[in-house]
Amino acid sequence: MPLAPPHAEATTRGSHLGRIRVIAAHTFTHLVRMKVFYFLAVFAAMIIASNAFELPHHATPETMGVNVLRAIKSWSLGAMTLFSVVMAVVATALLIPRDVEDRTLYTILAKPVPRVDYLAGKLCGVLLLLAVSLLAMDLLMVAVLHWRTAMVAADQIQMAKQLGWNAQAIDSLRSDVLAQGPTATLQTAVLAVFLRAAVMAALALFISTFSTSTLFTTVITFLIYFIGHFQADARDWYLHAGQLGQGWLARSAGLLLAMVLPDLQLFDVIDAAIEGVTIPLWINAKLCLVALYYAVFFTLASWWVFSDKEF
Amino acid sequence: MQRRWHKLMILALALSVFGAARLGFEAELHQSLREANLLPTPLSTTTREKIGQTSSAVALGGLRTLVATFVNLRTVGQFETRRWADLAETLETVVALAPRTGFYWETGSWHLAYNAAAYYLHDSELPALRRKEAWRSFIQHGRTLLERGTQHNPDDWRLWSNLGFLLTDANKIAAFNDPNECFASAEVAYTRAVNTGRALPYLRRSRLYALARVQGREAEALAMARALYAEGSHNRTPTLLVLLMVLESHADPNFDLASRAIQECGSPSEALKLLGNHWRRTRDRYPVFGIPLAIRKLETQLNVPADQSILLQPAAAPPQVDDWFQSDR
Repeated sequence: MPLAPPHAEATTRGSHLGRIRVIAAHTFTHLVRMKVFYFLAVFAAMIIASNAFELPHHATPETMGVNVLRAIKSWSLGAMTLFSVVMAVVATALLIPRDVEDRTLYTILAKPVPRVDYLAGKLCGVLLLLAVSLLAMDLLMVAVLHWRTAMVAADQIQMAKQLGWNAQAIDSLRSDVLAQGPTATLQTAVLAVFLRAAVMAALALFISTFSTSTLFTTVITFLIYFIGHFQADARDWYLHAGQLGQGWLARSAGLLLAMVLPDLQLFDVIDAAIEGVTIPLWINAKLCLVALYYAVFFTLASWWVFSDKEF
Repeated sequence: MQRRWHKLMILALALSVFGAARLGFEAELHQSLREANLLPTPLSTTTREKIGQTSSAVALGGLRTLVATFVNLRTVGQFETRRWADLAETLETVVALAPRTGFYWETGSWHLAYNAAAYYLHDSELPALRRKEAWRSFIQHGRTLLERGTQHNPDDWRLWSNLGFLLTDANKIAAFNDPNECFASAEVAYTRAVNTGRALPYLRRSRLYALARVQGREAEALAMARALYAEGSHNRTPTLLVLLMVLESHADPNFDLASRAIQECGSPSEALKLLGNHWRRTRDRYPVFGIPLAIRKLETQLNVPADQSILLQPAAAPPQVDDWFQSDR
C-alpha cells in the first residue's frame, strides 16, 4: 500500500471551518487596528444632528414631531448603508494587496492552508467587521429613536388630552407615534443593509483576485454597486423585450446584464421599513438566501481565479 | 496562456449558469416585493433631473428616503418665502422619491390647499381675477396631491381623513365645480379611513356628516345616523342629533321633529337652541328638512314674538367665491 506524501497529510490537518475561523479572526483584528471604528463618532454626530430636523412650521399639530422620527431613521439607515458598503468594498479590496505587501500572504500560503480557506476566512473577517459595526450603529439608532419617540409620544398625548380626546383616540394616536419608533421592522432593514454590504464584500473579493490594484477593485466594485440597482430593469427588458417588439440583440444585451450583475434593488426594502411598512419574515428569508447565493458563488469564483495565481 | 483562457472560459460559463439559475427566482421575488409595495417605483427622468446628478446617484444607490428628507428641507424655505410654485414643484420631487411616506403627501397638500390658497385669498398683490384662479388652482392641486397620496398609501387613514376634511371644508368647497360630488367623494374618503381600523373614532361621524349632504342618498344617511345614535351617548353630538331628526323628517314628512328635539334636549328652549344653531349653519350646506316647521312650533310654544323668529334673522350665506375676490388689493 503506497504511503501518502507528507504534505498531503499536512493539507488535510484541521478542519476547513477551524482555519477559516482563525483567518477571519486575524482579518478582523487587522481591520480593527486600522481604526475603522472611528466612523462611529461621525455616525453618532449625524444621529444627534438628525434630531434637529423638527420642522415646526412644516407640520400640522397631529403630525408634529413624527417627522423627526422619520428623519432619524432615514439618516441612520442611510449612513449605515453608506458606511457598510464603503467599508465592505474598501476593506475587502485592501485585503489581498495588503497581505502581499506585508508578505503575510506568503507565510500563510506556505503553510498547508487551502486557498479557498484563505479567501473565505478573509471574507468572513470583513463580514464580522460589518456585523459588529452595524450592531454598534443599530444600538445607537435604537437608543436615540427610543428616547425621541417617548418625547414625541408624550407631547402628542398631552395635546390630545388638552383637546379632550377620549381614551380610544389617544391609544390610536400613541400607536401611530410608536409605529415610527424602534420596531422589529427597523431591525429587518438593518439586516437588509448587512446583506447588501455582504454581497458587495464578496464581489470586491472576487474582483480583487484578478485586479491589478486596490483602486481598480474599489472603482469597479462601486460602479457595479450603482449599475446593480438597474439590473432589474435589464432583466425586465429581457423578459418583456419580445412583447415590445425588440429584436434579439436587445434581448441578448438585457440577458447578459441580468446574468452578470447582482440585483441590488432587492435590498431597497429599507425604504419601506423607514416608512413603517412591515416586512414579512419570508421576504427576509428569501433576501438572506439571495445574499448567501451571491456570497458563495463569488467566493468560489474568487478561489477559481486565485487557486493557481503565483506571487 | 492557453490554460488561462481555459480558466476564463469556465469562469464565464459559471457566471452565465449562475446568472441564469437565479434569474427566475430574483424576478419572482422582485415581483412579490413590488406587489407588496415594499419596493419604490422607479425614479422618472424628470425627478432625476430635478434632484441633480449627485442626489440621483445617492437615490439610485438605495437611499431614496434620505434624499427625500433633504429635498423636503427646501420646501421649508419656499414656504417661508411664499414661493408657492417652487414649493409645488419641490413637493412633486419629494413624493416621487418617497411615495410611501404619508407625511409628505399630507404636509404637501396642506401647504397647497390651505397656505398657498390663503395667501392668494388675502395677501397677494395680483389682480382679483388672477388671485381667484390661483386660489382655486392651489386648492385643487392640494386635493389632487391627497388623492395621489391615498393611491400610494391606501392604508393611511390620515390621508383619507385629510381628503375628506378638505372636500367638506366650507371655505374650500367653492373651489370645486360640484359640491354634491365633493360630499360624495368625502364620504368615500372617510369610509376608507374608517375601514383601515386605525382611524380616530370621530371619523365615523364625519362620514355621516358628509353623506348627509349628498343629495339623493338621504335614506342611506338615515340608516347610518340611526346606527351611530344607537351605539350610545358618545356619538350623540349636536350635529348628529339634528341630522338624525332632519333625515327622519325627509323619510317621513309627518315626523314630529319638534317633539323629538325636546325629548333629546330636555326642554323646548334647549331644543330651539339646537335647531336654531343648525338652521344658521348655512355655510356647511347641511340639509334642513323639517327644521323651519319645528322652529316655528317651538317658538310658538315658548311665546317668541313672530318678528324675533330665528327664521327671520340673517344667516351667513353659503360662501360665494366671487364675494372674496371682488376688488384688486
